[in-house]
Parts: sequence; C-alpha cells; structure tokens
Amino acid sequence: MTTTTANTPGWTRTKAWQAITSDWGARITFYISVVLGWQLLAWRVDRVPEPWETLDFLGRELTGDSHGGRITGEFWEHFLATVQRFGIGLVVGFVIGVAVGIAIGSSPFVRTLLHDVMLVFLALPAVIWAFLTVMWFGLGWEAPVYTVVLSAVPFVAVNVAQGVRAVSPELHRMSDAFGVPRMRRLRSLLLPAITGYLFTGLRFAVIIGWNAVLLAEWFGSSNGVGWRSRFWYDAARYRGFVGWVIIFITFIFLLDGFVMRPLQRRAFRWRAKRAEEGEIGVSAAEIEELTMTGV
Amino acid sequence: MATLKVDNLTKTFPAHGKGGLPVRAIQGITFEMSGQVFVSLVGPSGCGKSTLLNIVSGVDTPSTGTVAVTQDGKKARLGYVFQDPRLLPWRTVMQNMLYVSDLPEEEARANAMRYLEMVGLEDAGEMFPGQLSGGMQQRVGIARAFSVSPDLLLMDEPFSHLDAITARSLREQLQAIWNETKKTVLFVTHDVMEAVQLSNRIITLAHGGTVFDDTSVDLPFPRKASDPEFATHQAKILGRFETMEAERAAASGQRT
Repeated sequence: MTTTTANTPGWTRTKAWQAITSDWGARITFYISVVLGWQLLAWRVDRVPEPWETLDFLGRELTGDSHGGRITGEFWEHFLATVQRFGIGLVVGFVIGVAVGIAIGSSPFVRTLLHDVMLVFLALPAVIWAFLTVMWFGLGWEAPVYTVVLSAVPFVAVNVAQGVRAVSPELHRMSDAFGVPRMRRLRSLLLPAITGYLFTGLRFAVIIGWNAVLLAEWFGSSNGVGWRSRFWYDAARYRGFVGWVIIFITFIFLLDGFVMRPLQRRAFRWRAKRAEEGEIGVSAAEIEELTMTGV
Repeated sequence: MATLKVDNLTKTFPAHGKGGLPVRAIQGITFEMSGQVFVSLVGPSGCGKSTLLNIVSGVDTPSTGTVAVTQDGKKARLGYVFQDPRLLPWRTVMQNMLYVSDLPEEEARANAMRYLEMVGLEDAGEMFPGQLSGGMQQRVGIARAFSVSPDLLLMDEPFSHLDAITARSLREQLQAIWNETKKTVLFVTHDVMEAVQLSNRIITLAHGGTVFDDTSVDLPFPRKASDPEFATHQAKILGRFETMEAERAAASGQRT
C-alpha cells in the first residue's frame, strides 16, 4: 500500500513560507522584531526601560497604584483632556482649512493674496505655534487647541485648493449648461471630486495636529498626554515617559485603522465597486491600495 | 413653441501666447429654427460647430451678433448632450439624472425613470457610471438631456466617440425618442449620413465659420441608409461639400 506522506513536509514548508511572507506575516514579524530589539537595547542601556516594565507601568497608570512614591491611575483624566482639545482643534482647523482651500482653488485673486501666507504657515513647525500660543494664552486649554488649529489649517487648505483646481472643467461646463444650482453643485460635484484631497489633508492634519497638541501640553498645560509625558520625564521615570509615548502612538494607529480607513472606504465605494465588477481592469491589490490611501 | 434665432453671429478667440494671432471661429452666421424640428449642423472640423453650440447654450459669449432662445416669448429651458457622457462618476445613474432636475424629488425620480426606460436602462439606476459601457453611459447622457423637458435640445457630436455598431443603435433609439417627444433639436455632427438619417433640415458650415448651405430633408421616418432616396439625399449633400472644397481650393490658389 502506498501513501502520499512523502509530499507533506514540502507542502507544509510552502504553506508556512506563504504565511510568513503574507501581509499579516510581515506585520507580525515587524512587531516581534521591534519588541526583541527593544529588549536587547534595554539589556545594554540602563536608561531604556524593559518592555514588560513599561507594560506594567501602563497597567498601573490605567488601574491606579503607586509608582516610586508617585501617584498613578490618572490615565483617563489626561488622555480625555488631550483627545478633547485635539478633537476641537481638528474640527475647527479642518473646517477653516476646507473653506480657505475652496477659496484659494476657485479664485486666482485669493490664490495670489494668500500664497505667501500659506507658505509661511506651512514652513512654521508646530513647536513654534506651541511656544507662541502659550505666550499668547498662557497655561490652559486654549494654547493646545489653537496650536492644533494653526498647524492643521495650511495642510488642509493646500490639499483642498489642489483638489478644487483639479476638478474636471467638463463637469463644470455640463453643470453650467443644465443650470445646476450652486449648493447642489457644491454637494454633488465639488465635494465628492475633492474627497481624495480632503482625506490627504485630513490625514496630515491628524498627524500634525496630534504632534502639536502634545507639544503645546508639554510646554504650557497642567494636564493632558503631553503634560503627563513631561511629568514622568522630569521625574526621571523613563518607563512612564516611554509608556505615554506608546499611548500616543497607539492612539494614532487606532484612529487611522478604525476611523480614517473605514471613512475612506465609504467615501470611495463608487470606485471600489466599479473595480470589483472587473469591468475596468483594476486588480484586487489596486482596490486595497485605493481603499487604504484614497488616492 | 421653442425658437432659436442666430443673427449675424461672430466669434473671435483672442491671440494665444506671444506672436499668436486671433482665431475667428464663426463669421456672420444667421439662421432661425423653431417648432418640432431636428436640425443638423454639419461641416468639417474647425468650422465653428461646437463654438456655435457653446454660445447657444450660454457657456460661451459671442464677439458680435445675437443669439436668442425663446419659448413662447420667454427664456427657453435647454438640454445638452455632449461628445462624452459627462456623468458624475461618484453618483449613481439615478443620482446623475436627479442632479440636473428642478422637479420635487419624487416627481424627478419618476420622470428620470421614464427616460431611462426609453433608452433601455431602467435596471441601471443604482449602478455607477464606471460599471456601464461607453454606449450605455452616452444613453444616460441622452436620457438626462431629455429628462429636463428642454424646449431646445443641443447635441454636440454625441456618437462620435462610439464604435460604429453602438452609434447606429443609439441613432435608432434617438430617432424613436424624438418621434415620441418631438423636441426642437440642434444636432452637431461631421457625419453626413448621420445628419440625413436624423434631421428635417441640414445646415452646412464652411471653413471659416460661415453658412454654406441650408437644405431640408423630406424623407419619412424611420430612415434606412439602404433606401435609394436616402442615398440620393446623402449624395446631394456630399456633392455640395465637394463644391465647397473646390471653391476653397480655388480661392487659396488665387491668393498664392
């Protein structure tokens, strides 16, 4: 009697290799490498906390305990204060950025008028805004919120302006020929046409705004993620500092994965649907790319 | 009754760039059309057909002369079918139809569906334009233009980007819709056969944007290219084209 077991090891090797080289495999390999590298670094350098120590600190910061005589367990107070400031700043900055972007994109006069101002705003790093707003408004909620607004507006505006200028003139002429009302044109032609640019602008605004809020809190606040990071840094408790760095990186990852990408997928379902039909020769990989980047 | 009056119309585009010369696209065109007529504007490329249509639709302005489109003395409602479909790719077929409508939503939907049925696309309402073929997209463009109940319908070489078989089928559909609705249509084409198949009247424009010929086509609908009378009309118009080209060649010979 013959069996086919001779083929099994080769088949298993191929399957295992496929799993490792898949997207998920690559991601998991990356995270394992980061943790291993971190652990190696912690063994060699005294001032780098070990991963498990940092995790232990994060647990205490969440649940409440003492750490080297300092009080922990204030995670939600600081985190929610920052998220609130970031949220308000982002919404205000996004709305202003879209309005300014549409004005720049639609009018050569406004474009020339604001050209140099936008350049200055784009060139100024968030840290400058953080310093300035703390000087203007002092310690409190205003400095972080205004820093987010001032950092986010130029990136949203420049992207939206580019989008407005790229809208097909044929579709504008069609709308002219049928006498489509202005508001309907804004809702059904302009905004969907610039969605890709809106998302690019929003993504920049989220990343730059999140950095900005932390910087402003670091320099001029009495609570929040930035302030709490500085608190542990000043206390020379590096596991606390690194723990909070992990918190703000995780927040950006979660925001991107659970808010930005689903929103983009929804906004671009007309392209993905068309591609799924296989009628325009777009590959599955391109659909994934499309839904991830919105470009 | 819709009336279009074009009176001594001239359009000159300004010089483009350094050392460029102004381009005269239309030179003193005068004609009038009204009622249930399908008028075709034919002529060689660059004779000002599309420019004339843009001015009639109000997208462009004349340099001199006037254009008046009226419906019983009031300003007429226009519909437009372009060379390409010009649909909003991020809106479904039905949403594209509603985009140009000024009726209340329920009524607009029923109206849109009526015209989608006329072009055989009643099941495509929830599809996006990218899911349709070029011919189907152009049918949506035609349904959209008819759905606004235009007093005057402007069509700018709507079948020129389609393959011959699709274009033929769409011409037959257009003829059927026109027979049912009897709208006033101004149709631009460079295809004489297309003009003879669809029109009651054919205006031929010459190079330089002048009216060279204005003739009526008194053949019963539906028309077939294989009919001897159809061929006679087509030959007559093509003969006029040959005369026009010969006159142009002679004029340019005299200049040199």
